[in-house]
Amino acid sequence: MKLKTTLIAILAVFQFASLFAQESSVSGLVTGSESGEPLFGVNVLIKGTNRGTTTDFEGNYQIDVAPGEVLVFSSVGYEKQEVSFTGQSTIDVSLVEDLESLDEVVVTSFGIEQEKKSLGYAVQEIGSEEITKTKQQNLVSALQGQAAGVQVTNSGGAPGMSARIIIRGVNSLDPNADNQPLFVIDGVPIDNSTIESAGTPRGLSNRAADINPNDIESLNILKGAAATALYGVRAANGAVIITTKKGKAGRVRINLNSSVGFDEINQFPEFQETYGQGFSGNYDPESFWPNWGPSMEEINQIDPDVRFYDIWSDAMRKGTQFDNNVSISGGSENATFYGSIGKLDQEGVIPFSDWSRTSAKLSGEVKFSEKFKFSGNINYSVSGGNRVPHDRFMERLVYWAPNHDVEDYINPDGTMKTYGNTNPIYDARFSTFEDEVNRTVGNLRFTYSPAEWLDLTYLIGTDYYSDKRTEVTPGPMGIDGENPLSSTGFIRETRINSRDINSNFFVTLKKDWTEKFNTTLRVGNDIFERDYERLDATGENFVIPEFYDLSYASQISTSQDKRKRRLVGVYGDLMMSYDETLFLNVTARNDWTSTLPIGNNSFFYPSVNLGYVFTESFEQGDWFTFGKLRGSWAQVGKDTDPYLIGQTYSSPSIYPLGGQVGFTRFSQFGDLGLKPEKTTAIEFGTDLRFFENRLGLDVTWYKSNSKDQIIPVPVSESAGFSTFVTNAGEIENTGWEFILRGTPIKSENFRWDVSFNASYNQNEVKSIREGIEEIVVGSQFGYGGSSVTIKLLEGEPYGNIFGTSYSRFGADENSIYLNEGLPIIIGENGFPSRNSTQLVLGNTTPKWIGGLKNDFSFKGFDFSFLVDFRAGVDQYNQYDNFFSAFGIAKYTLNRNETIVFDGVNADGSPNTQQVWLGQGEGPDGRNYGAGFYRNTYRTVSENFVQDAAFIKLRNITLGYNFQDNVLKVLPFESARISVAANNIILYTPWDGFDPESFSSGAGGNATGLTGLGYPGVRSYFFTLNLGL
Amino acid sequence: MKFKIKKYKYVILAVAFSFISCDDYLDINDNPNNPTEAPLAGLMVNSTYESSQNTFRMGDIATNYVQYLASPNAASSSDIMEPVSYSGTWGALYNVMTDINDMILQAQAEEANHYEGVGQILMAYNLGMAVDAWGQVPYSEAFNFVTVTPSYDDDAQLYEEVLGLLDAGIANLSAETNASIGDDDFIYGGNAENWIKFAYMLKARYLNHYSETSSYDPTAVLAAVGNGFDGNEDDAQLEYFAEQFNPWADVAIDNANLFLGGWISEQFIQALDGTTFGVEDPRLPLMVGATDDGEYIGTVNGAGRGDAPEQGARSVLEEGDFYTTRQGPLLLGTYAEQKFIEAEAAFGIDKARSYQAYLDGIRAHMNKIGVESSEIEEYISSPEVSMGVDSFTIDDIFKEKWVAMFLNPEAWVDARRYDYNYEDFDLPENLNPDLNGMFIRRLAYPDSEISRNGSNVPDVTLLDAIFWDE
Repeated sequence: MKLKTTLIAILAVFQFASLFAQESSVSGLVTGSESGEPLFGVNVLIKGTNRGTTTDFEGNYQIDVAPGEVLVFSSVGYEKQEVSFTGQSTIDVSLVEDLESLDEVVVTSFGIEQEKKSLGYAVQEIGSEEITKTKQQNLVSALQGQAAGVQVTNSGGAPGMSARIIIRGVNSLDPNADNQPLFVIDGVPIDNSTIESAGTPRGLSNRAADINPNDIESLNILKGAAATALYGVRAANGAVIITTKKGKAGRVRINLNSSVGFDEINQFPEFQETYGQGFSGNYDPESFWPNWGPSMEEINQIDPDVRFYDIWSDAMRKGTQFDNNVSISGGSENATFYGSIGKLDQEGVIPFSDWSRTSAKLSGEVKFSEKFKFSGNINYSVSGGNRVPHDRFMERLVYWAPNHDVEDYINPDGTMKTYGNTNPIYDARFSTFEDEVNRTVGNLRFTYSPAEWLDLTYLIGTDYYSDKRTEVTPGPMGIDGENPLSSTGFIRETRINSRDINSNFFVTLKKDWTEKFNTTLRVGNDIFERDYERLDATGENFVIPEFYDLSYASQISTSQDKRKRRLVGVYGDLMMSYDETLFLNVTARNDWTSTLPIGNNSFFYPSVNLGYVFTESFEQGDWFTFGKLRGSWAQVGKDTDPYLIGQTYSSPSIYPLGGQVGFTRFSQFGDLGLKPEKTTAIEFGTDLRFFENRLGLDVTWYKSNSKDQIIPVPVSESAGFSTFVTNAGEIENTGWEFILRGTPIKSENFRWDVSFNASYNQNEVKSIREGIEEIVVGSQFGYGGSSVTIKLLEGEPYGNIFGTSYSRFGADENSIYLNEGLPIIIGENGFPSRNSTQLVLGNTTPKWIGGLKNDFSFKGFDFSFLVDFRAGVDQYNQYDNFFSAFGIAKYTLNRNETIVFDGVNADGSPNTQQVWLGQGEGPDGRNYGAGFYRNTYRTVSENFVQDAAFIKLRNITLGYNFQDNVLKVLPFESARISVAANNIILYTPWDGFDPESFSSGAGGNATGLTGLGYPGVRSYFFTLNLGL
Repeated sequence: MKFKIKKYKYVILAVAFSFISCDDYLDINDNPNNPTEAPLAGLMVNSTYESSQNTFRMGDIATNYVQYLASPNAASSSDIMEPVSYSGTWGALYNVMTDINDMILQAQAEEANHYEGVGQILMAYNLGMAVDAWGQVPYSEAFNFVTVTPSYDDDAQLYEEVLGLLDAGIANLSAETNASIGDDDFIYGGNAENWIKFAYMLKARYLNHYSETSSYDPTAVLAAVGNGFDGNEDDAQLEYFAEQFNPWADVAIDNANLFLGGWISEQFIQALDGTTFGVEDPRLPLMVGATDDGEYIGTVNGAGRGDAPEQGARSVLEEGDFYTTRQGPLLLGTYAEQKFIEAEAAFGIDKARSYQAYLDGIRAHMNKIGVESSEIEEYISSPEVSMGVDSFTIDDIFKEKWVAMFLNPEAWVDARRYDYNYEDFDLPENLNPDLNGMFIRRLAYPDSEISRNGSNVPDVTLLDAIFWDE
């Protein structure tokens, strides 16, 4: 019955489509006013309707039009032109170039295009060229430095390694929360999670890395709650709206794009190269200690053949990447298509690390009639590679004595060659971890426009991937005297399947009430489902050496995880504009989620924003081109993960044992009255443009408060659970964003564009929960009790690092902050004394981030560079902790000196005691044991929490576009060659590898703990683009 | 008019799309990974297994304090008796006590008396370990989420709870049951008689802990001993699995993989190789590994391995010995221990019985770990061991019990009751200066409790004794 009604309704709708008649056809030629050349791809629209076409490659168009209607010709870079149809058979038009079009169109929710000037909130668009120019294969990395308020951090330099994006600060007190924005492709959300490896870090990919950046037409960043209210709960941290390339009517166009790149480590720490293997200054070629032996001079007196290798360079190699893409696009007035194939192969600087991505995309759009449009998009990709255990690799390199050639790692029988310690290259080669992700992202979009004032749109999309992972650590080969990597060996097979489905139906009603007052109302329904399953099987103790299969392992354990989440939303969005001057937008949304208790799972949230283009109302000097004020207030609700409510039992992964399955009460209890989180954000901003748009300034101030946070509160295990999931706490982010852009030079042949963005964010944990003092976000090991912990405390900002410090004279005992300005207390032994009370040593959230972009073009040449920076950020340098403990850091060269430490005695008098920094018996006859660096220095976290600010040359590109005179003799429509370099550190106070790398991966929030991360790399590229 | 009807149809269409029945569609939040109820047998499996694991965890903490093991790294926190936060072990103890609590409640509801009885014995066992390490701990407000910040109960009162639980367990196991225990019991395979004996053995153990207090009643200890184990075959132990090795075997395997651990203390080596007591103990090669040169060389507590390499130069736990066999047993309570308890309790009442129990204890342990009978006789008959009733002292009991309790957390209770008074037992090098030259008396409360339940955590130092340690 219901179906019948629906069918009738649909039939009625189709019937309606043929009502308008009496049209005649008009055709014509569109040319550019300066060049007189025909223009391809110009949009020809009948005003106030959705009927339209585009010009073909020869600049011709044809369209059915009724008398009295107005044709609107528009194209990017040209001023819009309107011509009334009065029965002419031909209308030729010449468009005037307008390089600074003010009517910038941006894509907001659900693929809806909106004029930027009508928005009451900040958005920032990044074009296709700006993305591909960065040569970043991970599209998240391509956003670095390009948008205000957007912090992008590469987790390391491995191929395919994840990158993290945070918009306007961290919004959650939950240490496990993913604070990253929602990624949306052509109106349909996709998954951008990072599923890290179990065990040692291996640097896996964030799933947005599956998208080929070459397929992207534009990318919009919606920053605040106002911009994302219509996406609902999943966009509570903002949204990245991606529009992919589409075909255009006209001739078939083929683009070829080939690029080769090389990677090398962009910065090394400062190493000492004087002292060799041994301890206490005694040389021992089999010692565990790589660098506490005597100087090379002394070693060579014992054994003249011993060398000091540069193991840090020797163990690494030059990374390579090859990227090839072909795209083909075209179409007719009624149907367009775009297809592409891309293949990327990368090898990283750590041996045996690699990653590749093969992607294929097909999209098309068909206009069945003037009223009915259909478009579809499908993207298939295969990605993955071998993920070396970089953290362990680097740790083993720390332990490797530089008196042995690290590259000489394998014996002829295949066993490890070593003087004692495990060879990092051998481990990287044989302890493999391979992943392969097969992914399909697709969507279908139906648009029906039965009347001028009405559009019906249905959008359905899916994101399906399987992630297959196989990790192998070999056991002994059964050869006498071998040094196996593991006494048992193991294989772990992981299978992850994830499927997202999004369905979205909306109706758009437009009405021009008067010449000046227009409204657009949109109401819709949105349904989301994620179905996720993961299976893990681990086998230990291989029956046959080197035969890696679960069936041939003698100990097996398995685990399974299934998750399903559904969301239903209903929304309304009313836009009103008056005289192109005042724009008011009111939205309202109600969501129902499967993850909260029924009764608490429905939540409503509104938003309102206002834009006022004041330059339209008042007379102003010619120099003042455009001025707008904007303001918004918005709320966004947030649900949680599935299955958090109530008490359950679980069977730990060790079972079955002896055929028995054990049960334990699950350690987490979810509040039965759990309710949605609520974020309230306000934002004010202005957009000012001067001198015919050659200078622009955009300033935004925002404040957002997230309340009733759903957090796993750690509770005393004696209570019966270790975690209580409940609503607790509030976090606040306040900040400023500045964008300054200009075109200092613009002449016929030479043009210079510059744009600068900077943003400041301040964060405060307003409250946690009564009885709960702190929330631990993460901690990292340091030798001798110097481990550090990132903790959240009430009244403090997100990301404070706690650790040990030197004792300070006159320190305020109640302060949780280390006061570095006070003198260090020197103990009775003459060495600085250590304060084991954990104090705040720094903060891991940058206060300032930003970027500077310059583009120059001269005839066929173009030159550009992008610099980005961050400031006011500290990190724990775990490498440095290890380098001091093992005598590797350059500053340990003073190990045989006698000094007087700067500081005061317990009574405040200046210290005058001389001490020796070395190991064992000093020149003064006193026994100094393991020496200053091992006894004292490495145990004080303060030494390793360091300023991690940087200024980086993210990208520098020089390109040449072949000019017509050359192209005439070549079989190409266009040709371009370019060279580029990436990630060159211009400045950082940080001593070590690139401070950007961190060990937790993009999904983790403990970004300030570097771990022994995959070192950052700089890259060089040579690229050729050809258009046919 | 016609137009209006069409307009309504759009609205109907829109509404139809919007309100696909929400409630059913969204009612999918029942966890498919975790059930809301657990079978009694499943709780029994985990409770027995984790009780054994907790014995290992607490034993692992105590091994440095009682100088079975020494850290290969100098001045390692546990070795020099610094405050260490054992949040993980604390959590493991409370996890299993929570499961046991659920098992007891569920068994009561189902009148599965044997499950209830075993639950009570295991609760007493884990609670006893917690009290012996930390003193006051949460119990009366624990397990059932009555509060997020459970209060701490007095340690002496908790001991009464432990003894009460054992009595209740014995009563329940002596009664009929609606459900019999089977292979889900990893310790005794459901044998109620064995559980009752184990309960009595534990009663003897905990009653004997009162030795330094005025409430010590050696007759009661001996009465419990009388109902306890009859031989090694009654021992409470858990044999490990092909899928999950004995945790001490894992320590040995890890050490072989250069994840260093399980290095034998010089104190232990010298006690057994004849240095300290003048008699070579045949158990040494069955308990620990030799160096590459076939010697037994220990590591000095607190001093680290110095210039010794990571492998081959010091005695370590080696895979395959009695305590370190992959699928070998982990001992929770033994006949040997019961014999030494008997020896201690009888010492002031019936010294001859005490002496005999002491010799039987040595013999039981030697049989347990597989010493040849000729070697057993040779060792026992040596004058250093069989000194005769008259020369026999309490020190002899503590020395031999210390060897027999190798790697068991109970050894630390003995050491504290005995005031670490073993022959040639030195403080570790680099001792935590806050201890003022004294041995550690308890564990510090873990950081997890301090940050989550800070207002209830008692303010103690490492020198504050547990109530029985006066």
